[in-house]
Amino acid sequence: MINLIAKLGAALLDKLACMGQALLMLLQAVLVQPKATSIPRLMQQLYAVGVQSLIIILVSALFIGMVLGLQGYTLLAAYGSEQAVGQMVALTLVRELSPVVAALLFAGRAGSALTAEIGLMKATEQLASLEMFGIDPLHRIVAPRFWAAMISLPLLVAIFSLVGIYGGHLVAVDWLGVYSGSYWGNMQLAVDFNKDVLNGMIKAVVFAFLISWIALYQGYSSTPTSQGISAATTRTVVYSSVAILGFDFILTALMFGGAV
Amino acid sequence: MVTGDIINLSNVSFYRADRAIFENLNCSIAAGKITAIMGPSGTGKTTLLRLISGQLQPHKGQVLLFDQNLAKLKRKQLNQLRKRMGVLFQSGALFTDLSVFENVAFPLREHLKLSADELHNRVLLNLEAVGLRGVKDFMPSELSGGMARRVALARAVALEPEIILYDEPFAGQDPIAMAVLQRLIKALNAQLKLTSVLVSHDIAEACTIADQVILLGEGRVLAQDCPAALQASNDPAVKQFIHGEADGVIPFHFPAIPLQDELRGQVK
Repeated sequence: MINLIAKLGAALLDKLACMGQALLMLLQAVLVQPKATSIPRLMQQLYAVGVQSLIIILVSALFIGMVLGLQGYTLLAAYGSEQAVGQMVALTLVRELSPVVAALLFAGRAGSALTAEIGLMKATEQLASLEMFGIDPLHRIVAPRFWAAMISLPLLVAIFSLVGIYGGHLVAVDWLGVYSGSYWGNMQLAVDFNKDVLNGMIKAVVFAFLISWIALYQGYSSTPTSQGISAATTRTVVYSSVAILGFDFILTALMFGGAV
Repeated sequence: MVTGDIINLSNVSFYRADRAIFENLNCSIAAGKITAIMGPSGTGKTTLLRLISGQLQPHKGQVLLFDQNLAKLKRKQLNQLRKRMGVLFQSGALFTDLSVFENVAFPLREHLKLSADELHNRVLLNLEAVGLRGVKDFMPSELSGGMARRVALARAVALEPEIILYDEPFAGQDPIAMAVLQRLIKALNAQLKLTSVLVSHDIAEACTIADQVILLGEGRVLAQDCPAALQASNDPAVKQFIHGEADGVIPFHFPAIPLQDELRGQVK
């Protein structure tokens, strides 16, 4: 019994130490005065992390919007209020689905790629080699990737919402015959900028922070072997997904909990 | 320029998990010389190189580089010190997203303010010295292991460091490349008045160019002398390693319980 408690304690201490290390890594990487020379590196990462995630975001958003349009229409038509499908699609997307689904996709595509890339750099001694040139890999490698993720994800979430709303329109209005004016008009009446759009964006920023932090730390602290990197990549996706869903509940409770 | 001992390790102990890699290790490396660190596999040769370059910190004792205690330096000071040092990693450690030319240009761009022409010429001269000017536009993935290491050598000496550390420079090289590398290391050391430290277990190659050899074993320095003296040594461990004898005081097997006991244990 005492052994078990000791083991639990040791595991907890290990986790706490890891979190401390992760926090230190982040602070060391991020709390740096930006230089003009870091802009091209940031642009390069914005392309790798953001632009290259665009296709998966566009396609998923379109399908999710279409499914929402279809489900919403079926449900609302039973009560004769299919005109409200526009506001239903928009609110569902802007408040919940866009930040959560875009973040989950982003963790799978960009987060795992970041972990694998940094892990491989470590395994092939590229990080050590940077250090030996007197260059801090946290500033050179970790910082631009962190900021690129922080900028990309909120933009991807906004794009997700726009495309999703268009997908809903495609099904509800173009295929099922809901009046276009009600689709847009009801949406305009129901969606509040501060309460819905801004809150959705705050979620996106929080998720971007969580994903990039987890992905970069997992890569940076990975065991530099093929097994180690594969385990770190898996951890990135699992931890990010759980963190996104957990924090989504907390944020939703804080943002919309009072209204109930 | 530093004279006397440029690197000094005193009472250094280093452990991995509970296993002692070094226990009270003492050794010094003279400026302007080529020093070969040799010893059987697993004796911590690469670890020693990492302690010297400050990538690892000893658990006990101190490592002095240019008379400065590495453990006491702040990150910025350590980075400044590292600009005076070049390292050739075992894998080459070329940046995979940069071409061969850009890899060699990297330290020059980072630390020197050279005009585009000067930079171009310096990179080409460095690549010419390792015989790889013709692959300047290749990506590291298009190079063989030996070529990658030669490019890495051109990059390591680009900033004209005072010390250069080579981790297994001869491993996996064909005989011609090996001879060229030997000549290069010797020539660089003489021309740039470098201090070279090379880790190797290619006895013949390392002894040909080294001025002094540090022989590691059992977590300490077994011998430190010029190659000729080591070749003539009567110390059983030194003799066994230098002459590559299978039987002797240095065990081939990693410590374990007797085979018979283990086999019997499995049957049970």
